[in-house]
Amino acid sequence: MSNVRDFNWSITFAWVLLTIIGLTAIYSATQGPVSDFLAEYIQINFYKQLGFVVVSILLMISVQFISPRTFLQLSFVFYFIGIVLMVLTLIFGSEINGAKSWFRIGPFGIQSSEFMKIATILAVANYLTSRRNISAENIRYAFTSVLIILLPAALVILQNDFGTAIIFFALIPVMLFWSGLPYGVSLFIISPAIILYLTVIGWQFGLVAALLLTGLIFFIQRRTWLTITSFVTGMLTITGVQLALSSVLQPHQIARITAFTNPSFDPTGAGWNVIQAKTAIGSGGLMGKGFMEGTQTQLKFLPESYTDFIYCVIGEEFGFLGAGLVVITFAFLFIRLLRMAGNHKHPYAQLVTVSVTAVFFIHFFINIGSATALLPVIGIPLPFISYGGSAFLTNTFMLALCLNMDFHKREFSIYR
Amino acid sequence: MIGLCLVVIGRIFYLQIIQYETYSSLGEENSIRQEYVSPARGLIYDRNGILIVDNEPIFSITVTPANFDKEKIPLLARLLETEIDEITERINEAQRYSWYRTSPLLTDVNFETFSLIQENIWQLPGIGHQIESKRHYPTDMIASHIFGYLREADRNDYDKSNDLRLGDKIGKSGLEMIYEDTLRGDLGVEFLKVNAYGQSLGNYEGERSTQNPIQGGNLYTTIDAELQAFVELLMKDKIGAVVAMNPLTGEILSLVSSPNYNVDRLAGRLDRDYWAHINSDTTRPLYNRAISSRQPPGSTFKPLMGIIGLHLGYLTPETIVKNTGGFRKGRLYRDLAPKGDYNLQKAITFSSNTFFNSLMDRIGTSGDLNTWSNLVNDFGLGVPNGIDLPSATQGIIPDSAYMDQRFGKRKWGIGDIINLGIGQGVISVSPLQIAQMTSSIANGGYRIRPHLVHSIHNDDGSVMITPIVYEKIDWVKPEYLETVKKGMRGVVQEGSGRYYAKTGIIDLAGKTGTAENPHGFSHGWFTSFAPYEDPEIVVTVFLENAGFASSSAAPIASLILEKYLTGEINRQYTYNYVMNWVPKEDNSQGDSE
Repeated sequence: MSNVRDFNWSITFAWVLLTIIGLTAIYSATQGPVSDFLAEYIQINFYKQLGFVVVSILLMISVQFISPRTFLQLSFVFYFIGIVLMVLTLIFGSEINGAKSWFRIGPFGIQSSEFMKIATILAVANYLTSRRNISAENIRYAFTSVLIILLPAALVILQNDFGTAIIFFALIPVMLFWSGLPYGVSLFIISPAIILYLTVIGWQFGLVAALLLTGLIFFIQRRTWLTITSFVTGMLTITGVQLALSSVLQPHQIARITAFTNPSFDPTGAGWNVIQAKTAIGSGGLMGKGFMEGTQTQLKFLPESYTDFIYCVIGEEFGFLGAGLVVITFAFLFIRLLRMAGNHKHPYAQLVTVSVTAVFFIHFFINIGSATALLPVIGIPLPFISYGGSAFLTNTFMLALCLNMDFHKREFSIYR
Repeated sequence: MIGLCLVVIGRIFYLQIIQYETYSSLGEENSIRQEYVSPARGLIYDRNGILIVDNEPIFSITVTPANFDKEKIPLLARLLETEIDEITERINEAQRYSWYRTSPLLTDVNFETFSLIQENIWQLPGIGHQIESKRHYPTDMIASHIFGYLREADRNDYDKSNDLRLGDKIGKSGLEMIYEDTLRGDLGVEFLKVNAYGQSLGNYEGERSTQNPIQGGNLYTTIDAELQAFVELLMKDKIGAVVAMNPLTGEILSLVSSPNYNVDRLAGRLDRDYWAHINSDTTRPLYNRAISSRQPPGSTFKPLMGIIGLHLGYLTPETIVKNTGGFRKGRLYRDLAPKGDYNLQKAITFSSNTFFNSLMDRIGTSGDLNTWSNLVNDFGLGVPNGIDLPSATQGIIPDSAYMDQRFGKRKWGIGDIINLGIGQGVISVSPLQIAQMTSSIANGGYRIRPHLVHSIHNDDGSVMITPIVYEKIDWVKPEYLETVKKGMRGVVQEGSGRYYAKTGIIDLAGKTGTAENPHGFSHGWFTSFAPYEDPEIVVTVFLENAGFASSSAAPIASLILEKYLTGEINRQYTYNYVMNWVPKEDNSQGDSE
């Protein structure tokens, strides 16, 4: 057993701080004056979250008593359990907000896709680091890794949870890059995402980005076929997006995208969320309106205030100081986690830690990006802050694993 | 990663610090709704402090188009017992005005309908109610032409004023129109906290404070409610007008135009049938004959002619003109007064046409038409009189420019002028103007401005008293007036007015007149003042198609004078005569009054 002083208390502190901020915001959004307009089952969300926090603390502590090797060995077991759960959810699950991602056990709804994130990370990390010579440089291994990720991603899409699927897709370049995939190829893999984002804003931007990225990939990798493929992929992405916007996507999805590019197009409809979110944050000013004093939150102008738009509650009631504190705490968390990854000698630990950081970061950026209208509204929660028991539990579990591998890093060495 | 964190920080800095003002006000606009509070419209009192116009609560159904579900229109129409088309039209109008603000849908619904709506309010989102007020007229008097009516402001009115909201009623005639700004008062403002569903959560307490509405100013009029009701009674079923005024101050004591309309029926929700009826009625009840009608003054003009003749030196009180049956110049201008010698006083008393035709002939042939016209203007004829009612006519007193325009340059001659001397031809005045002219004779030669409002009592306690505007007509000498007044007194003692206007109770003077009417019976005039020595009241009566003034207008005037000065009517015979009177004309008499 390692010395308690070796435990990474600064990351734990960031976790505690984010949890407290989250509970405060959820309290305001469900127990404040706004509760008059909320259904009873929403009002009790604060207490449900509090319960999950207590359970998560116990989980966090108990994980530390388990050897990292156990998790390594159980990687695929977790993965298969996860896949089975997701399939079951798909068959028996209940639908909330159009996404069929909830599996009811008694009064609690379990979101299997949340658990699947860490299971997938563990499985891919295990696969890529189990033997010496396996590296993503080899196209066969890379391909297998992608398959391991795509399976749950496909299931998530079948569950109609587009936001979570993005997380899985984002894991592909992160994990492969860390496992030796060349820069140019990694860039090629993420390039469609960048082009897609810019094309939604305007196809001209997408085109410029596609050309620049192709040039950059050629400059780095000097491989003709990769460059040509990259160019073709870029063009296909632009065409695909245009096609999707014009005919494939369903009206409510297009409405969300239009709401992002031009919220005033339909201010009472799809644009409503974006306008109210920006108004909530912007009207917070430097100091905020005070705890449970935010008019946007408490008068119900802000939709989904305790989940997807929780950041707006913080921005409105605690101002730039509160909203800034959240960003700084997250940044601190990310830096500490990455430094922790760098200190690992075991590639499995490195890869898991980096992937977990990436998952947190993507959640963080997409959630806050949505809330501040940097990105279209994509409904994914802000880690440790948004209401959501499964997410909180899974996020804590991911963090606990990272802390555990760090805590036990002497026993958990590649040389042993 | 750190770069993107910085992007996020930059973004929230931009939103929260740089754009704070924008979003802060957006947030306030979201959650604070400004509501206007209508002030109570000012009240109207008579000269003795009797309340003659006040307000009465009415229930209105309102609509907020943004919340309203158009599929509920049939239900709403059924509950309100109104046509679906009308409801649709009204909702569309409210929508054009504002999508989010509440506008009245139907005003003055009865209490049962109002309750029915309240019971079903749960299935009628966007429908609300409002308790408003409507005008209420507590006294016997109708006085529709004095008060005027209110109607909902139209597009033009909104464009002109910032204070108006859809459904606001504004005065469209009478005192309600002239004193609209005073009576309306100032809108109050209150700020309500509202949630995202538009529900009001009570008053907003913050820097923006509630402003209470300022009640409209109360009008204290110069009308004598009792007299007004009496005059209306006398004028019932007759067509014409009566003006009673104080000759010293210009205060209108009574002003009646008959037929009138029931202003009460226009007070609440517009009664479209009634509105159509009074608009299409051929007797034109909306038309205010007392101030807008333009009629030849007939012989009521003769006293003023005498004064002008004396001033211009064509006459002295002793000048004699012989009546041989008419004045002959180019043709015969008939005179039905007894043949014989007439001085001015006698010419007025017996209404000799020859005397005034020859006077006008001399004025015309001496090239004094324009001088004459100016002198007539000094008595308020042919010029605006400044009364505080809309659409008062200024009448026509011709001068050479007018004649040129009317007949063409050099296409008119002395033949067109001679008849002006007896108030016929291209000369027209309103009953109010004759009353004003009579006042100037009665009050010693002062031109006074007729007015209906004595003072305005504002909500803040301040009182604005209407100044009495009078001006000495400098060329009028007391001796001119003396002769003329004696002549007018003679009218009711020995002249044409003696049968109907001689009361034996009050000491009055007056002058009859007949305005020739090519379309039917002549119009009758009688203008009078009393008491003779110290006049307190001038009464001018004008009756359309009434035949001779001495038999129609004069008794009405005498009853009004009696009522005003003694407070009661002792001449039951005359009263019955007036109440049962029917127009008749004896054309053989011609214009002899």
